[in-house]
Amino acid sequence: MDVALSKNGARLLRAFFALIVLFLYAPIVILLIFSFNNSEVPSFPLSGFTLHWYHEFLSNSDLKGALETSGIIAALSSTGAVVLGLLAAMALTRRRFRGKAAVSALLLSPLVIPYVVFGISLLLLFHTIGVPRSVLTVVIGHIVISVPYTLLVLVPRLNQIDISLEEAAFDLGASRLRTFRSITLPLILPAILSAFLIAFTTSFDEYAVASFVVGTRATFPIYLYSALRFPSQLPQVIAVAVVVLVLSLAVVVAAEVGRRIAERRFASLESSG
Amino acid sequence: MTLVDAGSPPELVPRPRRLRLDLTTPALLGLPLAWLAVFFLVPIAIVAAYSFDVYSLNSGPHGFTLTAWHDFLHSSVYLKLFWKSVKLSLTVSAIIVLLAYPLAYYLALSGTKRKYILLLLLIAPFLTSYLLRVLAWKVILGNQGAVNTFLFWTGLRSPDHPLSQLLYSRFAVMLVLGYIWLPFVALPIFVSLESLDRRLLEAASDLGASRLQAFRRVTLPLSLPGVVAAFLFVFIPTLGEFVTPSLVGGASGYLYGNQIVDLFGTGFPDWETGSVLAIFLLGVVAILTVVFARFLQPAEVTVD
Repeated sequence: MDVALSKNGARLLRAFFALIVLFLYAPIVILLIFSFNNSEVPSFPLSGFTLHWYHEFLSNSDLKGALETSGIIAALSSTGAVVLGLLAAMALTRRRFRGKAAVSALLLSPLVIPYVVFGISLLLLFHTIGVPRSVLTVVIGHIVISVPYTLLVLVPRLNQIDISLEEAAFDLGASRLRTFRSITLPLILPAILSAFLIAFTTSFDEYAVASFVVGTRATFPIYLYSALRFPSQLPQVIAVAVVVLVLSLAVVVAAEVGRRIAERRFASLESSG
Repeated sequence: MTLVDAGSPPELVPRPRRLRLDLTTPALLGLPLAWLAVFFLVPIAIVAAYSFDVYSLNSGPHGFTLTAWHDFLHSSVYLKLFWKSVKLSLTVSAIIVLLAYPLAYYLALSGTKRKYILLLLLIAPFLTSYLLRVLAWKVILGNQGAVNTFLFWTGLRSPDHPLSQLLYSRFAVMLVLGYIWLPFVALPIFVSLESLDRRLLEAASDLGASRLQAFRRVTLPLSLPGVVAAFLFVFIPTLGEFVTPSLVGGASGYLYGNQIVDLFGTGFPDWETGSVLAIFLLGVVAILTVVFARFLQPAEVTVD
C-alpha cells in the first residue's frame, strides 16, 4: 500500500495535472492556430490556411529592429550580470568577510522590488544626472534585475565543488586567479552558461523596467505592447508570438537537457576524482 | 572552506608577484556592490527624497515637507486602490497555491518515474515571454475573441450578446495573473514535498493513521514553509503589477501599480505624489520580505 496516495487518489491527481497542463498550453495552441488563419481578426470559425502573417512580420522592419535591439540589450546585460554575479558568488562562497549576510541580502534584493518602483527610481536617477534614455540605460537596469538570478544559479554550484581541488592548486603554487581559471571555471562553466541563459531571457522579455528607461529604439516587448493597441497588427504579432514562444520553449528544454548531461558528467568526475 | 579563507598560507619561499590582479574580497565585491549602490540604492534614495520634497526636478522653492505623505495617508482614492490591489493579489495567490499544491503533491509523492519531465512540462510556460502569454488571453477573451466567437459559431450564444465581462475586467486580471504565476508556484511546494522523508509517512501508517490523518499531521505541516514561500513569490510581485492590468484590466481592473505609472506618465504627472506611492509600496514589500525572510531565503546563497 502506498502511504501517500491511494490508487484512486493518484488517478484523480493525474487527471487534475493533465487538466492544468491543458489550461497552461491551450492559449499557446490557440495562438498557433490563429497564426495560420486566413483572417484579419483572430476568431472562430477558422477561414483557411495561410502563411501570410509570417511573411508579413518577416518584412516588418520595425519589428525586426525591435528584435535586434532586444537581442543587443539582452546580450550586453546578461554578460554584465554574469560577470558581476560571478565576482559576487566567488566572494560569497570562497571568502570570509564581515557583513556577508547584508551583502547577500543587498545582492538578492532586486528579486523582490516591485518593477514599477525600480523603473521610476532609475528614471529619476537618469533625469537627475542628465543621462538621456537609450539602449544603455535599459542595459543598466537589466543588469541590476538579473544579478540575483545569476547568483541563485552560481552560488549553489560553487558550494558543490570540492574545495580541496582548489586548495591543491593553491598549495602547488597557483595564484588565486590561476586556480580560478584552471580549476573553478571549467567546473562551473555549465552553471555560467545557464546563468547567462536565464539573464538573457529575463532581459529579452522585460517590459516593466524598460518602459521607463527606454530611449527611441523600442525593445521587442515595448514594440509588442504598442502593437497590441492596433488591431490591424494583431495577426502578425500573433505569428511573432508563436515563433518566440516555440523557440523559447525549445531553448528551455535544450537548457534542461544540457544541464542534466553536465550534471551527470559532473557526478562521474566527482566519483572518479 | 576554512583553508582558503584563512588567507595566504605562510610561504617559505617568497615568490615575486608579477600581477597584482588577485581575487581578494574587495576585488571581488567592489564592482557588484558599486553597481547596486549606484543603480539600485541611490535611485531609490532619490525617489524617497522626492517624496519628502527634499529634492525636486521642478524649478521653484522646495524643502522638507510631509505634505505629499499627509495627503496620501488621508486620501481615500490611493489607499482604496492599494487595498484593491492587496485583495486582488491575495485572492490570486491563495487560489493558485491551492491549485498548485495537488500538482506538486502528485509530482513529488505519487512515485511517478517521469516526475522531472512532468515538472519541466509544468514550468516551461513560465519561462517563456510574459507579454506574449498576456497577449494570448487578449486574443481569447475579447468580444470578438476565441471564446466568444466559438460560442457564436457553435450557437451556444447569440452574437448580439457576447460574454462581455471576459476581457477588461477584474476577472480578466485575476485569470491572467493566475495563469502566469501558476507554474512557478508549484516549484517551491514541490521542493518542500520532495524533501519529505517518506519513512515518516510509513511510520504514521504503521501507527494506524489513515492517509488523511498522515497528510494532516505530517505532510501538510512539513510542507508549509514551501507553501508560504510559494504564496509570497506570487503576492509580492503581483502587488505592484501594472502590465497585466493595463492590457486586460480596463477601468475596473485598474490597480495601484497603474496609478504609480500614471503619476509619472505624460498626462498629469505628479512625481512627488508618485514617489510617495512608490515608497509606500516598497515599504510594504520590504516589511513582508523581512518578516517572512526565513521562508524566502534561498538557503544555499545565504548560508555561510
